[in-house]
Amino acid sequence: MEIRGHIGIGPAVEGIALAAADNFSTRYDLDRDRGIVSRPSHKLFGECYVGRILVLDAAKGGVASAWMLREMVQKKMAPLALLLNDANPVMAQGAAFAQLPLIDRFKTDITVVIATGDRIAVDPAQGLVRILN
Amino acid sequence: MNLNDLEQAMLDGVHGRAAQWAIDYQRSVGTFFDAEDFVPVRLIHMSTDRETMGDAGIAFLEELAAFAPEERRPRAFATADFRGFDEKTFRFLLPDRDLAAQSAEAVAVLGKLGVVTAHAYVNDHSVTAPAFGEACGYSGTPSVVYMNGIVGARCNFEAGPSSLAAFFTGRVPRYGFHLDDARLATHGFRLDFEPKTVVDWGVVGALIGRRLNSYWSVPAIEIAGTRPTILDLNHMALSMASYGSIAMFHVIGVTPEAPDWDAACGGRTLSPETLSQNDLNAFYEEWCGVGEKLNVVVLATPQLDIPEIVWVAELLDGRKVHPDTTLLVYTPIELREACARIGLIQKIEQAGGRVVHGHDFFATFAKEIRETHGWKRLMTHSVKAVNICEGYGYKATPAAIPRCIASAIAGRVLP
Repeated sequence: MEIRGHIGIGPAVEGIALAAADNFSTRYDLDRDRGIVSRPSHKLFGECYVGRILVLDAAKGGVASAWMLREMVQKKMAPLALLLNDANPVMAQGAAFAQLPLIDRFKTDITVVIATGDRIAVDPAQGLVRILN
Repeated sequence: MNLNDLEQAMLDGVHGRAAQWAIDYQRSVGTFFDAEDFVPVRLIHMSTDRETMGDAGIAFLEELAAFAPEERRPRAFATADFRGFDEKTFRFLLPDRDLAAQSAEAVAVLGKLGVVTAHAYVNDHSVTAPAFGEACGYSGTPSVVYMNGIVGARCNFEAGPSSLAAFFTGRVPRYGFHLDDARLATHGFRLDFEPKTVVDWGVVGALIGRRLNSYWSVPAIEIAGTRPTILDLNHMALSMASYGSIAMFHVIGVTPEAPDWDAACGGRTLSPETLSQNDLNAFYEEWCGVGEKLNVVVLATPQLDIPEIVWVAELLDGRKVHPDTTLLVYTPIELREACARIGLIQKIEQAGGRVVHGHDFFATFAKEIRETHGWKRLMTHSVKAVNICEGYGYKATPAAIPRCIASAIAGRVLP
């Protein structure tokens, strides 16, 4: 199955999805030292996101993600890629700075069509996601 | 994206390696958002708190600073609200982390690049402010939403590395809130109650932010009763940005691009959703904590202005903060000194409070602070801080300043 989004940022990758109909901020939602989602009210609370393809609804919150994503990538404590229904400038700027794959603006709700555990291929240059299961 | 001759020359490396990196980086972000071209900017504001920059951010700045001056010439005026560190307090908050040294490292490298590391809060207009309609490259979310909504300047979130890039190119990609149509209201709200405090205004911002949940949404709000102050609007704006990534808003009859509904919406018709006292109450109920032992009260985000410091000093006059509760009152260093000259700081400190200057509580490893002190319950008048501190493991209670102070004295969360 193929899902089309807007042309994205970063290199192509393949990996396992961690998905939820919830939003995303590196500062508000993550324990970046332990690599887990730390906000109790988040649908992925307690889940390890390191090396997973995070599939969430919208980017939220402040400017922190733009610096933080690069630090997370360099410390090998980052998700493998980000797929969002709706990115904001901060997330795009952070992804470009970190060279972390990011695609958004899909033709369908990405949090509905991709489930946690799905193996997926992400190709930002084409704005294309494929479910490989 | 279309590049003019100057931008193409930057990309070709004619204007140095910093500009070459910067224009290439900005082009990738601009392409992501379908920007057709760039818009020149005069003013840049950088968010450079040490926690978010991380070692990777500092290392990147140092790489740029190591270039010969002709390889890294700026094309705009940039300030960073790098508000330093209150050594005494931060030694208490985080004894194992040398924040002063880390701060000095960042200030030094930013200074070498030519960034003015001011200690003020940019929304106080204490550094050069943009004009109505002027494109600018501001970084902090509270500053961007303030400049768009309240000043009428034009800005997207130009976060950390993005504002740094704009500093070297003197331009930003033209998309989002640089475009006339994007600034028009997409959603309407009507308040059928009158917010009484800045905390109520913060809750209004949170309610709207949660409902819209998209950077590209622009709320227009019709209010009842007394005209809000700049501080009221600031709390609402930064809360909208925090809970919903909102970067532009209108208040009908108050903000400069919304003299009426028609102007705010560009002639479109919106059906405003009513926000009621019940919505406000339900938000407060979510956090509650009444009767619980209170570990820390944080009055910050935004840091306090002089009238608020006067208020805190009055509320504490002749009283003592409970020995098991820490009271942290944040204000920029210039305001702290002004308040000290008239005895306000001494009054707060005699009562057992700490008046802190420097980076905001949430931007200085707040999770580590909680773990170091074994803190759990936090009170604050900032609805934005409530949102952030939840992610750092605190149980937060939003409340107006008098209730925060009374609770600090009692050592527990008072109703």
